[in-house]
Amino acid sequence: MTTAGQTSVTALICLAVASSAIVLADDSTRVTRITHMEDASSDRMPSVTAVPQYPEIARRDRIEGEATVCYTIDARGRIRRPTVRRSSHKMFAKQSLKAIKKSSYEPLRSNQKAAVVKTCRTFRFLLKPVAIEEIE
Amino acid sequence: MSGPAAFAIALITAVLLIPVAWSEESKVVIGPRNLDLSDGAQELLAGNAREGLELTLRGLRSAQGKREKEAALSNLCAGYIMIDRLDSALMYCNMLLLSNDRHWRGYNNRALIYVMREEYEKAEKDLAMGQEINPNARTLKVVKGMFLDATHPVSPNIIIDDRKRKSADVSVKEQS
Repeated sequence: MTTAGQTSVTALICLAVASSAIVLADDSTRVTRITHMEDASSDRMPSVTAVPQYPEIARRDRIEGEATVCYTIDARGRIRRPTVRRSSHKMFAKQSLKAIKKSSYEPLRSNQKAAVVKTCRTFRFLLKPVAIEEIE
Repeated sequence: MSGPAAFAIALITAVLLIPVAWSEESKVVIGPRNLDLSDGAQELLAGNAREGLELTLRGLRSAQGKREKEAALSNLCAGYIMIDRLDSALMYCNMLLLSNDRHWRGYNNRALIYVMREEYEKAEKDLAMGQEINPNARTLKVVKGMFLDATHPVSPNIIIDDRKRKSADVSVKEQS
């Protein structure tokens, strides 16, 4: 049984999957679980969303944290002047900035006003315990 | 060479590579006192485990003083880890820690042996001892990471939050 709310969320997910791409900012062999949260206030549609690599030292030392990067989006969907607004650790700031620089948005259509939009994106770096099944 | 064997190179006691200066009847001598030990350490650092072990064993036989003996035992432990002879490595690490129970590299190397042998409780104790003696040692952090990966594995999870408000109408897209 699904509620109306769940159905609308599913629809939004399908729409987003069809229209934008999530890519890893670095070549990484590690399996990373990615969650992308958006709301109706997003003015521009992401075209390429680069995902930062989890810093290896942070993973090794079991450090979690987050970083927020703010930037402007030009009419062609390119990201301009990205700056780290806050971060819990410089390792996360560096990877987040790198990912933002590889991301882009859909360009404005010809009938849309060429407005420069300022926005921010927060990356949360979390570590989930992995259950190991013992084989006897 | 790969994995723990390659990592063991980082554990070679660098103390032997530092020129030793000491006073003897008002003369100051600068340079390694035990050449076999010094050359052995160089060979081990270069990844030539067998040559390094041979020289270090010879250096141990002519070792003078506690410092030289401990450096030899430490390097033998690391060298045997490099060639995956964990029983021999453990023997030399045990000898080292019997001689000096405050030798953090000894705990580091022995913890690595225990991780490789999947003796995690022993590894944890040695890591705790090593970190108590030298909390900032990078190699201890690396071995601790190997221990944690074996005992408490984690998977990175990255959340990209584009919300302007923490509102209820959220679209969530997940991908593994």
